[in-house]
Amino acid sequence: MKKILVVLITLLLAAASVTAEGKSDAKGSESRSGVTTLKFMGWEASPLETESVKNGLAVFEQQNPGIKVEYTPVAGDYVAKLLTMMAGDSAPDVFFIAADQYRAFQKRNVLLDITDHMNQELNIDEFIPLVQEKMLIGDRVYGISSCNVSPVMFYNKDLFDAAGLSYPPSDPDKAWTWDEFVDVAKKLTITDGNRTTQFGATGFEVAWGWVFPPMVMSNGGSVLSDDYSKVTLNSSQSKEVFNAIRDLRFKHHVAPDVAFVEQSGMSAAQMLQTGRVAMMVDGSWALQQLATMDFPIGIGVLPIFDKPATVGQAHLHAAWAKTKHPEEAWKLIKFLSSEDYQLSNIRAGLWLPNRKELYKEENLSKWINPDVYPEDFGNIVKYFTSYGKLWPGVVANREAYDIINEEKDRFYAGDTSVDEMMANIDKRTANL
Amino acid sequence: MKNKRTAAIYHLILIAGALTMVIPFFWMVSTSFKALKEVFVFPPTFFGDKIIWQNYLKVSDRYPFGLFFLNSIKISFFVVFAQLLTSSMAGFAFSRIKFKGREALFSLYLGTLIVPFHVTLVPTFLIMKYFGWIDSHLSIIIPSLVSAFGTFLMRQFFLTIPEELENAARIDGCNPAMIYLMIFLPLTKPALATLGVFTFMGIWNDFIRPLVFINSIPKMTVPLGLATMQGMYSTDWPVLMAGTVISLIPVLVAFIAAQEYFVRGVTLSGLKG
Amino acid sequence: MSMKKLAQSNNFWAFIFLAPNLLGFLAFLLIPVVASFGLSFVEWDLLSPMKWVGFKNYIGLFHDQVFLRVLWNTVYYTLGTVPVGIALSLLLAIALNKKLRGMKIYRALYFLPVISSYVAVAVVWQWLYNAEFGLLNYLLSLIGIRGPSWLSSTKWAMPAVMVTSIWKQLGFNMLLFLAGLQGIPSTYYEAAEIDGAGKWTQFSRITVPLLSSTTFFVVVMSIINSFQVFDQVFIMTEGGPARSTSVLVHYLYQNAFEYFKMGNASAIAYILFFLVFLITMLQMKFSDNWVIY
Repeated sequence: MKKILVVLITLLLAAASVTAEGKSDAKGSESRSGVTTLKFMGWEASPLETESVKNGLAVFEQQNPGIKVEYTPVAGDYVAKLLTMMAGDSAPDVFFIAADQYRAFQKRNVLLDITDHMNQELNIDEFIPLVQEKMLIGDRVYGISSCNVSPVMFYNKDLFDAAGLSYPPSDPDKAWTWDEFVDVAKKLTITDGNRTTQFGATGFEVAWGWVFPPMVMSNGGSVLSDDYSKVTLNSSQSKEVFNAIRDLRFKHHVAPDVAFVEQSGMSAAQMLQTGRVAMMVDGSWALQQLATMDFPIGIGVLPIFDKPATVGQAHLHAAWAKTKHPEEAWKLIKFLSSEDYQLSNIRAGLWLPNRKELYKEENLSKWINPDVYPEDFGNIVKYFTSYGKLWPGVVANREAYDIINEEKDRFYAGDTSVDEMMANIDKRTANL
Repeated sequence: MKNKRTAAIYHLILIAGALTMVIPFFWMVSTSFKALKEVFVFPPTFFGDKIIWQNYLKVSDRYPFGLFFLNSIKISFFVVFAQLLTSSMAGFAFSRIKFKGREALFSLYLGTLIVPFHVTLVPTFLIMKYFGWIDSHLSIIIPSLVSAFGTFLMRQFFLTIPEELENAARIDGCNPAMIYLMIFLPLTKPALATLGVFTFMGIWNDFIRPLVFINSIPKMTVPLGLATMQGMYSTDWPVLMAGTVISLIPVLVAFIAAQEYFVRGVTLSGLKG
Repeated sequence: MSMKKLAQSNNFWAFIFLAPNLLGFLAFLLIPVVASFGLSFVEWDLLSPMKWVGFKNYIGLFHDQVFLRVLWNTVYYTLGTVPVGIALSLLLAIALNKKLRGMKIYRALYFLPVISSYVAVAVVWQWLYNAEFGLLNYLLSLIGIRGPSWLSSTKWAMPAVMVTSIWKQLGFNMLLFLAGLQGIPSTYYEAAEIDGAGKWTQFSRITVPLLSSTTFFVVVMSIINSFQVFDQVFIMTEGGPARSTSVLVHYLYQNAFEYFKMGNASAIAYILFFLVFLITMLQMKFSDNWVIY
C-alpha cells in the first residue's frame, strides 16, 4: 500500500510539474507586425446575443487596429472548461464569468485586478447600485458587468380584458399587495371539471432560487447577513413569504406545479401566448422572445408584502490574471461595457442597462424600443435603479445556496413544514 | 413461425413497442419542419401549418455546420477502424493466450471503465497539453484509438468460440496470428459489427472532450455545434432539431450497414465450417 | 531462447497482440486514472497549490449528508434499472432474432432511442410526464387515477427518470444480445428439435448457457454505467427536486466545477470505483458458476 502511494504521489508531482513547465500556448498571441491577438471566451445565451458579440467585436477591431480578437463560444459546461484551462495554464485572455462564479474565481487570484484602470477611465458610480455591489469585492474590481437582468411579472393583456380586470401596476410605488394579487389570480383561474385550463399566476417557485429573495426582502426579511457570511433566512418574515408562495398551489389552486414551466419545454412567452397562464414571474430577458409573438404583452412589478423589491444579476467580463496582454485585455473589457456593445441587446429586450445614464428620463428613448417594450415601461425603470438589490445567489457560498434551494424545493413539494425547512437550512449551513 | 395467426400477434406486439420507441424521433423530425411558434402548442401537434424545409438550410447559417460534419467524419473514421483492430487483438490475447498476469492486467482494464470521466478531465488535459494537442483533432483521436469497453466486449465474444476449432487449427500448424485472422475474426463478425456501431456512436456523439480540448470554431465537431445552438435563454428549436436529424443520419446508416453482418455471421458460425 | 521457441511462447504472442492496445491504454486511460486517484488525497481547487490531506476527503464524505443521499439515490437507480432493463432487452433480442418479415426494420426502430439525442428525448418525456397536460396522467385519468406531477415530486421523479433510462437504453443491450444470439449455431436448435425438446427447454438449455458470456458482459457494463448515470439526470431534472434525483456523478461534478473541490470530487469517484470494482470482481469470481465458455 505504501509503495503504491509513493508511486501515486510521484505521478501526481510529475503531472503538476508538467503544468509548471509546459510551454504556455502563447505563440499565437505574440505580436506579429504589431498586431496582438486576444483570446476571448463566452457562451451562447441566445442566437441574438452571439450575433451582437460578433458585431461588437468587429467594431472593436476597427477602433483598435492593433488588436485582433479570437472569439470562442462555449456550449454548456462552461465552468468545467474554463477551470480546466486555468489548471492547465492556458486560459483565454478575456472571458465571460457568471455573476455567481465571479467571487469564487477571484478568491483564487485568477482574475486580473482592473481597479486602477477602472478608477482612471471609468467611474464605479456610473453604475446602478446593485451592479456596483456585484462588481466590487472589498474595494477592488475584477470584472465589469455586461448588463442587468431582473425578475418581473409578465402578463397577457387579452386575458385581463376578457375578465374585465385592471392590469398589474408597472409603477413599483403602486404595486399590488400580496392579497390583492392573490385575489386577481383567483379571478383569472379557470377550471373545466377538475382540470384547470387557465392558471392565474406562476413563476415564484423557480428551482434555482432567484424569485423568493425579492419577496423575502419585500417583507423585511433577509437571505444573507450583511457581510454575506451567514444565512439569515430563518425569520418570521420569510416564513410568511414561503407559506404564501406555497399556498398559491396548495390553498388557492391558482398556480400550476413547479415543473410545469421548467419541464414543459415551453418558455414563459409560450405559456402566456397560449393562455395557459395569465401572469408569470420570469427574467426580464424573456421580453426579447415575447416581442416576436403576436399577443399584447404587459410587464408589471412583483406584488409586495411591505415594500417593493426586486433583485438583479448578469454575467461580467473579466481577464485572466496571467494574461500577457493586460492593457489590450482592459481595452476589450472596457469596450464590452460600452453603449456601442450593449445597446443592440438592450433594445431587443434581452438585457437591461447597468448604467445610471441610460435610466435617465431623457435617455429612455435611446433604448425603450416601442416595437419591443410595452408603452408604460418607463414607469418601471426605478424598480431596477432604486428598489433593485443584488441577487444573494451572487455573493452566497455556492454550497449554502444549493442547500437553501434543496430545502426550499422540499418545502414546496409539501414534504416539510416551513419550520422544518428553516431548521434544516440553519443546521446544514452552519459549518460552511 | 408455425402459423399465420401467431405471426400476426407477434407483429402486433412488436409494432406497439416500436411505436413508443419512435415517438421522440418522430417529434424531432416533425419539429424540424415547423415554424418556431408552432413547436410548443397545446395540445401538441405533429404537423405544422406548412412544411418549412428552410430550417435545414438555416442549420449552417451561423456556424459552419458542413465543416463540423467533415471534422466528425474524419475523427470517427480513424477511431472506428483503429478501435476494431486494437480491441479485437487485445480481446484475443485476453481470451485465448495464456500469459503471466493476464487476469490482473484485465482487471486494470475493467478498472479504468469504472472511473467517471469528469474526474480524469484535468489530468487528461495536462497530458494533451504536454503533447501539444490542445485545439487539435489529435486530442480526440489518439486517446480513442484504444478502448477498454471494446477490449472487454471482444474478449467476451472470443470466449464463446469452441476450443476445438482452435486446437484443430493448431494441429494444422497455424500460429496465433493465423488463428486470429482466419478463424476468430470471421466468426465474430456480428460482434465486430456491434462494436463498430457502438464505437461510431460514441465518438460521433462525444461531447465533453471536444468541448474541453477544442477552442477554435473551424475545428469543432457536430455535437459541439449542436450544443452551441441550444441557447441559455432561447433556442431556435426547429433549426436545432433539423441539425440533430442531420447528425443522426450517419449513425443510422452505420447501424443499417452493420445489420448485414449479423445475417452473414449466422451462416458462417456453424460448427462444421 | 531460440527464435523458433520464442515464436511458440505465449508471452511473445501476448505481447504482439497487446502492444498497440497497451501503449494507448497506459498513456491515455491508466495515467489519468492513477493521477486522479492521487487527487483524492489532496485538497485542491484547481487554481491554487494542492495540499496533501490523506484520507480527510474520504472521511468527510461519510459524514456528508448529501453524499450519503446521492449514494443511496445511485444504488436505488441501479436496482431500479439494471434487472428490468436487462430482462426486457433479452426478451426483445429473442423476439427480434426470429426469422420473420420486417425484422431488420424492427431492429432499427428499437435502436432509435439509443441514437436519439438526450435533449430531444428529454423534451418529449417531460411532455409525457407533465402533470396538467401530459399523456401519462391523461391515460391514468381514464381509469380514474389522478396522477402526480411526476418530475416535481420528490417521490416520483426518480422512478420517472428510471423509466426513461430503461426505455432509452433498451436498444443498446438488445443489440449486444442479438450479436450473442447470432453467434449460437443453429445446428444446436435443429438437433434439439429432432430430440423433441420444447421451446422452453431450448431456451433454458441452449440459449441461456450459450449466451452467458454476452449476459455477463451486459450485466457488468450495465452496473458500471448505471453507477455513472449523469446525462439524463443533468438534462431532465438537474438532480432535483430537492436532490431526489441527484446521483454520485452529479455530486462529483458539482464538487469539481461548482464548489471547486477537486479532491472531494476525486474521492467520490474512488468510492464509486471501489464499490463497483468490488461488485465487478465478485461477478468475475462467481461467473465461473454460471458463465459457460
